Parts: sequence; structure tokens; C-alpha cells
Amino acid sequence: MQRTTHRPRLLARPVVVALAAAVALTASACTKSEDDASDDKRSSTAAADTEQKVVTPKPGSKSCTIDAYGAEKIDLKNATVGFSQSEKEANPFRIAETQSLKDEAGKRGVKLLTANAQSQFSKQISDVQDLLAKGADLLVIAPLNSDGWEPVLRAAAAKKVPIVTIDRKINATPCKDYVSFIASDFVEQGRRAADQMIEATGGKGEVAILLGAAGNNVTTERTKGFKERIAEKAPDLKVVFEQTGDFAREKGQQVTEQLIQSKPGIKGVYAENDEMGLGAVAALKGAGKKAGAVKIVTVDGTRNAVQGIVDGWISGVVESNPRFGPLAFQTLDAFTKGEEVPQDVIIEDGAYTGDNAKQDIGKAY
Amino acid sequence: MTETALRTAPFDKTRVLAWLQSYGVYAGVAMLLIVNTVITPHFLTAENFRTQAVQVAPVVIVALGMALVIGTEGVDLSVGAVMALAASVTALYLGYGLLPALLVVAVFAAGAGLANGALVAFVGVQPIVATLALMVGGRGIALVLLPQLQDLHNPALASLGSGAVAGIPYLILIAAALALLIAFVVRRTTFGRQLLAIGDSRPAAQLAGLPVRRVLVVVYVVCALLAAVAGVLATARLQASDPTSLGNLMELSAITAVVVGGTPLTGGRISIGGTVAGAVLIQLLTATLIKHDLPPSWTQIAQAIVIVCAVYAARGRGKR
Amino acid sequence: MAPPAEVLAVRGLSKTFPGVRALDGVDLTLHPGEVHALIGENGAGKSTLIKVLTGVHRPDAGDITFQGRPVAFSTPMEAQKAGISTIYQEVNLIPLLSVARNLFLGREPRTRLGLLDFGRMHREADEALRAHGVRVDVRQPLRTLGVGAQQMVALARAVATDARVVIMDEPTSSLEPREVETLFSVIRRLRESGIAVVYVSHRLDELYAVCETVTVLRDGRRVHHGRLADLDRLGLVSTMLGRDMGEVRSEGLTKFTGDHHAAAGEPVLQATGLTVPHRLHGVSVGIRPGEVVGLGGLLGSGRTETAKAISGALPLRSGDVVVAGAPLRGGSTPAAIRAGISLLPEDRKSEGIVPGLSVRENIALAALPRLSRFGLVSEARVDAVVDTFVRRLRIKASSPHQKVGELSGGNQQKVLLARWLAMNPKVLLLDEPTRGIDVGAKAEVQKLVDELAADGLGVLLISSDLEELIEGSDRVVVLKDGAVVGELTGDDVTEDKLMRTIAGDPPAPGAVEVAATDD
Repeated sequence: MQRTTHRPRLLARPVVVALAAAVALTASACTKSEDDASDDKRSSTAAADTEQKVVTPKPGSKSCTIDAYGAEKIDLKNATVGFSQSEKEANPFRIAETQSLKDEAGKRGVKLLTANAQSQFSKQISDVQDLLAKGADLLVIAPLNSDGWEPVLRAAAAKKVPIVTIDRKINATPCKDYVSFIASDFVEQGRRAADQMIEATGGKGEVAILLGAAGNNVTTERTKGFKERIAEKAPDLKVVFEQTGDFAREKGQQVTEQLIQSKPGIKGVYAENDEMGLGAVAALKGAGKKAGAVKIVTVDGTRNAVQGIVDGWISGVVESNPRFGPLAFQTLDAFTKGEEVPQDVIIEDGAYTGDNAKQDIGKAY
Repeated sequence: MTETALRTAPFDKTRVLAWLQSYGVYAGVAMLLIVNTVITPHFLTAENFRTQAVQVAPVVIVALGMALVIGTEGVDLSVGAVMALAASVTALYLGYGLLPALLVVAVFAAGAGLANGALVAFVGVQPIVATLALMVGGRGIALVLLPQLQDLHNPALASLGSGAVAGIPYLILIAAALALLIAFVVRRTTFGRQLLAIGDSRPAAQLAGLPVRRVLVVVYVVCALLAAVAGVLATARLQASDPTSLGNLMELSAITAVVVGGTPLTGGRISIGGTVAGAVLIQLLTATLIKHDLPPSWTQIAQAIVIVCAVYAARGRGKR
Repeated sequence: MAPPAEVLAVRGLSKTFPGVRALDGVDLTLHPGEVHALIGENGAGKSTLIKVLTGVHRPDAGDITFQGRPVAFSTPMEAQKAGISTIYQEVNLIPLLSVARNLFLGREPRTRLGLLDFGRMHREADEALRAHGVRVDVRQPLRTLGVGAQQMVALARAVATDARVVIMDEPTSSLEPREVETLFSVIRRLRESGIAVVYVSHRLDELYAVCETVTVLRDGRRVHHGRLADLDRLGLVSTMLGRDMGEVRSEGLTKFTGDHHAAAGEPVLQATGLTVPHRLHGVSVGIRPGEVVGLGGLLGSGRTETAKAISGALPLRSGDVVVAGAPLRGGSTPAAIRAGISLLPEDRKSEGIVPGLSVRENIALAALPRLSRFGLVSEARVDAVVDTFVRRLRIKASSPHQKVGELSGGNQQKVLLARWLAMNPKVLLLDEPTRGIDVGAKAEVQKLVDELAADGLGVLLISSDLEELIEGSDRVVVLKDGAVVGELTGDDVTEDKLMRTIAGDPPAPGAVEVAATDD
């Protein structure tokens, strides 16, 4: 039987398109956000002392040379460097990371090609292949995943293009499939957060952990380091609560609200990133707690979190420095000149506490 | 001939399932309250109930809109993205003051709802596909407008997020008022009746001369507006606009609340009370597991079990 | 001739659903080669009996003996394997599979490797369908076939399995007359090969054409059984209804008075040159106030499409609809309804009722804007309207809040009529108003149509039931292939003339008219 037909109005499509266009126009025009004084400060962050420093490599740690890798010497000044970013630049870490590479390339006068995988691994693979096709002589990759890089590595090897990976590792053979891995030591970050927590709480009482997203190596390692150090140094400090805040501020706020309801005696909260820590601050404010009543220690070192220390809500922030530019280019420069470079470059991260927060807030990203 | 069977069909199991579908969610809430009273320290405090209610309020508001859409045999996957959009737009226009910013948010949300509604009602795209476009695109637009989290300091916005009347936070009052309003619309207005008829049998509604397209468009606009309200409230509570993660997976929470509340996905019936209870049930379940510090994966498993139970109860009545 | 041993014997079958005793000690015996009519009003227990026989329901009491052995089927598949096949009113095959796959579903011929033997399947399917007068490409998906042809596939499938008993539940409700003839010849062949047939139908003509024996159910009990020839139509109807014989006789078989209504004045509806691509080619129909105009023709002749086009549900390429002198603009359903046109659609279940809503809400549905103030429904006004029509149409429901989907077909139809009457229409388009509803409700609907016409409504009546069409209509416009091929007026409104017009033959000179109710 004939059902009543809908006459698709051909008008509808142009209307939708027009609507979208109108939305885009109104959006870009005449916006007026709050006057945010910190905006001005942001632009002046390229202070020299924010550069990453390398942890002095232990004697006997492995290194790599251009001969061992099998590439040809080139002058970095005339080279094209490709950079593949993993996640979209929607959080301070990624924004600072990409910006740092761009700044350093600009400073050295090196041509930089960039691509962003938008958190899709398949896109990252094709991004890197594109960079190779566009003539990148050297690659800097911030990998989304650790595995699944064989096709890209093979393509790079065929073109003898050296690769440096930053912030996450690729599961492959160093000095054969890639040159160096430059990153923070997340376990160490956890340990240092534990040190700050012990100091803030006096090493006694119950503390909670706001975990990062599940199934993420950052979460696992920051948790591991924290717990290890607590067990080792302050057996009277008990971790009584571990719930995920998915690295997001709102989730951190919600979980902390539940926490302070059910465990009013909690003394400290270790948030595995700044955003969750700031969510915890919002929860404490909402519950009418006073600044410093519950000690909060976070990892990352964003401006908002450091401001939190200045305001007295956060006890300490362990830095996870995203400014890989100088170190990555330094490594590439040395390598292409034929010098020996270490296979694992571990960054020395800074820390913010009540003592240095005020003067060092300019270093935060 | 089949009428006979239908008139006489309800054997006992179906009856139990029907009861479960309609009232199971209230029983579940009651059970969780009792269990928590016994096993959870500091559960029976005003402060705790306030926390739970404040946390569930945005979910309830989004679920109300979702219930309307599901009542028309549709679904709106874009609610989370609309929340993010509302958050961005709030931040962008807050310089003019809270009220003007909210008006601009309403315009954006109405636009989003109009796009969804037009695709469904006029072009005839399936709701799940039509709203999928905005689910992906909406958050994209939100991030273009505001690429990263921004702290907000507007005092009016802050008081909207954390203020209270007689000890009851605005958030709870707003969610309760909206729930009553939507329940009234569904029960007492011409629009509500027409909506249910369209959801139950669109061809019949069409032949009965109902303004099918208009009703569908209005439903999607209302759903988007409610999502925007939730987005603004969540932003106000956080005192920061976070288009990256605000409203993530909200569409699933809302659909879960609606379905667990006894509103069938096949349309034609809406339980507003059940929807609110459904959201509360999930909230209490999550809170229980968090308070007892059980692994987060348990929360997901527990939610899955609740959904399976709800779907099982609905199954017995799925066929008419 | 000694009667052969019974193939199926049912004794003392009872089945109770909460609140309803659907079957109460029912007996039924079938002999090989017997075509047995099973009749009863809606709710008499036919469906339940069939469902118990085919393993859908378990009986509470009583036993079933099949081919001399007691049986208790727990699924329809078991019943089918044992040799009881069923053809349902609605085709229950798989629309996306090919015709041949449907025909061999569950018993596909296989090659030696265990793969489907499509060559053989297609060959045999083609043969089987040709034997039933159906010529189609058996490789096509089933859904590309018309409903009638699909029903024939279902029939071919039921017969092709090694069935000893074939149950046919209203098999002709979607068949065209030619297909009905084919069905009857199939039934005769089944009879010759010793297969017993249970034939369920509302159409008395068909029962007398093919059945030898009859069982009449009423309220879950067997109230009559025996040879069909021993009972005339009126006797059969009165047994079914449990009414006094005299009353039925005095009122005829249909409730129509047969009187010509006072059709006077300007047409209340004038449709001119209705054209819908591939469906209607310039159809014109006019209806005067108080007139019942029948729309005759075969399935697919454009009757339903004409009604839908008038009501704005089918977009017109060209043509005009004028209601009470005012041209209808926009061609949309709401506009037509505002102008006073109401359509009772053919497909009651999917296009008419809103099954999940209550009787009350279904009745008020179209009139809602009138029953509301500022967008708020006035419950008092709705109650008034609902009360009026529930009483006037004698709608039987446990309460106005009962879901319409739970009502019998007849009551559903009355609810739809109430919905439209609440709109005070000028023109009522009735597409198969009595299809699939029980005899009692049918009579009530027919009587109501008469009354409405007497009140000055213009009525367009579409019916596949010739008797109903002839007796109910003042005039009959005959359609064929989407165009008007003739119009019968006055004394020419007879079954014979109608058949001839449909067939395209000029009426035989001096042909004796066959009275519509000839017994």
C-alpha cells in the first residue's frame, strides 16, 4: 500500500547550509568574552628558562650515531622537518608542545611541516606518510599509540629519514627504526608528586587519587610512582580512594564532591593532571571548605594550576614540560652533524610549590 | 483475528515485565537509597542529597529533551555537542553580561535544533543519522569558537552555578521546574498529545491531519534548548567553559535515563517521572560505587546491567 | 462409503488468558480430504484455536490427536514438520529473500557439497508457482511482488511441504478475484489428494463455494457443527451472532436499507481530473450531500489512490478538488480536513489507529485544536465528545482509557469513525470500512453510513465486498487501471452490471438482474 509520501522540500537543504553559514558568521563577529588579564601575560611566556633540561644520562646508557643508523649527514639549516602531532591542540599541553616546535624551527630558520591526527591513529599514519611525500628530511613524531608503526617506519627507512619521538614512545628498535625518544619520566613525576604530598600533609592521614583516563600509560605510571614513594617514605599516609576523573575538570569536580561527602576526613588529593586538580578545587569551594583544608597536588604545570598555588588552594604542582622544541632540534642538529646522541632523552621537569609559584608563574603554560 | 490474541495476551510474565518497565526504576531508586543508608557512612545528610541532586541536574535536563525526541520514535545524538557549543558561546559573549550571553546561546541552540529537526522532518533523514552530523560537527564548531578551556569569573554566572534559595541550589530548582513543565506539556497540551500520536504511528498521525513536520521540528528545537540549558548550568558550576570535555557521552547518559525510566524507544509513550528517576538511579549507582571506592570499570558494568534489565523489561511489551 | 479415519481430532480443548476464557471445551474433527469452514465473530476463539493447533499456545485442558497419535506441539516449526501447515492473513515470509528462497525456507535443496542448489531451487520454485497460476521471476526478492502474489507464494509453500492438514486463516483478504479462483482450484486439488483444509473466512460466498463442513464458534464454545449445505446463509449468520433468525432475515444480509438517499443540490465534493503519476489518470468523482457514491473496481484499479488524492495524502500532478464550492488549495491533509474531508483509511492498523494511545485520545486526535484553548487540552470538552461518540457508535472498551490496539477490529473502526465524526465532516471517504471486522460491527457500521448520509453527509464508499457496495451505494463509479470506465446509477446498480463494467463488457441486452441477496 502506498504510504503517505513526504515531499522532501528541496528548499530544506539550502536553508540548512545558509543556517550553518549564518552561524559561522555570527560566531566570528562581535563576540566579546570576559576581560581576562592573564591573556596578556600568556604572550610573554617564551622566557629562556622555560626550556627543557636533560637529566644527566647515567654512564653506560645507550647512544646512537648517524653511521649506526645508516642515514646521511645533512645540514639542519637547509633541511625540512616534519612534525606529526597526535591530539588536537585543545589542551594547554598540546598547544604548548606544538608552539614550542614551531618557535624553535622559526628561531633556527628551519622549514617545518606540521600535521595533526585529531586523536585518530589511522590519520596519524597517513599524516606521517604525507610528510614524507612532501619531502621531510627529518621527522618529529608525538605518537598517539605506541604500536602499529611498522608501515611508517619502513617508509622512513627507505628514504633514510631519521625520526625523533616525543612525549610517548614507539615500540620499535632504537637507533634502527628511530633515533631518540625524548620524554618526561611519568613514574618519576608520580614519585615527586608523592614527595610534595608527604610534605604538605606531614606524612600522615588519608589521601585520594584522581586517576587519569583508564588504559593510558600516563595514568598507570603516575599512579605507580606515587604509590611506590608513599609506601617507601610515609607508611602512615594511606591511599583510601582511587577514582577516575578522565583528565577532565568537570569529572574531577564530581568525583571530589562524592569523595568529600563520604570521607570528610580526607587530608589530601593527588590529581594526575591539573584539570582534575582544578575540578577538585571547584568541589572544595562548592562545599564551603577553606583554601588549604585539603592538600591538592597535581601534575602538568599549567598556568591555572600554578595560579591555584598562589591562591592557596593547591599545595604543589609537578611539571610535565611540553616544550620539546629546543631539545628535539638540538638532538636532530647533533645527530645530523654526526655527533653521538642518547637513545633515551629524559627531561628534567620542574616543580611549583608555595615557594616559587609566584615568581615562576610566567614559566607555566 | 489477531485482536483476540491481543486482548487476551497478557499472561503473568508479561504483566510482571510491564510492571517492571513502568515502576522498576522507582523500585531501583528506593532499593539504592535503603542499601546506602545502611552501608554508606554520611549518606543520610542534607549535604549528600544536595550533592547528588546538583550532579544529576544537568543529566535530568538533557534527558527531558531526549525523552521528547524518543517519544517521537527518534533520538538526538547531538545533545552533548550542543552542551559544548553552549559552553563556548557563553564564554564568548559573557563580556556583554550574563543575560545577553544566554540569549545568544539560545539562538545557537535553536539553530542546532532547527537543523536537526529540518533534516528529520523535511528531508526525511533518519534521526540517528541526522543528529550524528551535529554530534560530530557541533563539538567541532564549539572548539573552533573556543579552542581550549577558559576560566570564567562572571559573578552572575557563578551564583547561577552555586547559589541557592532556602538552601536549595538553583540547579536543582531549575531542573525540577523544567521537569514539571515538560510533564505538563506532555500530559495536558495539544502539542504533547500530537507528539505521542506521531511517535506511535506516524502514518496515522499524518492521515489524521496532524502537523507532523512542525511538531518534529519543535521537538528537536526544544531538545537542543534543554541541552543548552544543561550546558550553561554545568559551565556555571565549573566556572569554566570546557568545550573539549563538557557533555562528553552525555547523549548516552540521557538515553539511558530515558530508557531505564520506562519510555520505550519505539515511541508513543513518555514517562517524565521515570526519566527523572532513571537519571537519579544511574547517579546513585555511580555515587555508591565511587563512595565505596570500587574500580571505575564496575560503574560501567553496573550501568550495563541496569540497561539490560530495562531493555529486558521493555522487550515483553515491545510488540503491539 | 465408509468415512476414512480422522486425521485430526481435538477434544475438550480449553485455554484461558487472564480475564478471558478464550476456548471452552472445544471439539473439532477433520477427515482426510475434508474442507472445513471455521467461523465465528471476532473474539469467538478462532485465532486461539488455530494457535493451539499450530503450537503457538499450549492448551490448559483437552487433547489433540493427529494421525492417530496424541500430540503436543511446542513451536509452530514442530507442527509444520509433523504436517500441519498454516497460511496467515498477513503474509509471514521474509520480504528481502528471493521468492524461491522463501518457498524452500528451511528445506532448501542442496548439492552434494552441502551448498544450496540454486539451479534446482529456481526450477522447482518456478514449476510450483506456475501450478498455482503465478508467473513471476523467482529470483526476485519477495517484496517486489504484489500482496496477492505473495499470498500465493505462502500458499505454495504451505502446500509444498508434506502437509496433512492446511489451515488457512482469511487467505483471500488481499487476493483479487482471479487469484481467489486459483486458490479455490488449489483447495480442490488438496481435497483430491486427501489433505484436510481448515478454512477461516468472513466471506460467506467463499465458504459456500469450497467448504463441505462447518464449525461455528461463539465466545470460545462450539455452538454448531455439521454439513455446511444443511445451513443457509441466514442460518449461518444467526448462529454466529447468536441472534434471532427472524431479525436477521427481516433486515437482510447487510444493514443497508438499500433506499436511495435524497441526493439533491450542488455537489458537496467535486473532484476533477485527478492525476497521480502511474496511479491515476484523470479521475473525476462528484458527491452530492446525502449521497453514497460507491467506488468499484478490482484491487489496484485506483480506488484507494482516488480517496487518498482527494484527502490530500497523495500529491497530485494535476486535478482539482472542490469542497462545497470552495477549491481546496495546497493539497495537504490538514487543509483537506479543515475543508471538511475525512478519510477512513484502508489499512486500519498502520494508517488509522494510533495503537498505543487510548480510545479517548484516538477519538480526540484530529479534533484536538478545536478541543483546546491556548494549546492546552480541555479535558472536559474531550470527555464530552468522547462520551457522545462512544455511546452513539456503541464502542465497546473496558474504559475510554483502554489502548485502542487492544480492541477488536470492529471497535477500532468505530473509534476511527468517531474521530472523524467529531470533526463534523462534509464528506466521508470510507476505504474498506468493514474489512476484517466481525459481522455485528459490520452491520453497525453499515447502518451508521446510512444514517450519516441521511443527515446530509456526502459519502464515498470503497469496498471489495460487492454486496456491500451494491446495497450501500446510490451510484457506483467504476475504476479500472486508474481511470473511470463507467458509472452505474438507479436500477443499474447491480452486481451483474458492476461485474460487466469491470470486465469491460457491455451489459447483455435484457439480462435478468441477479438480486444482491438471492437467498
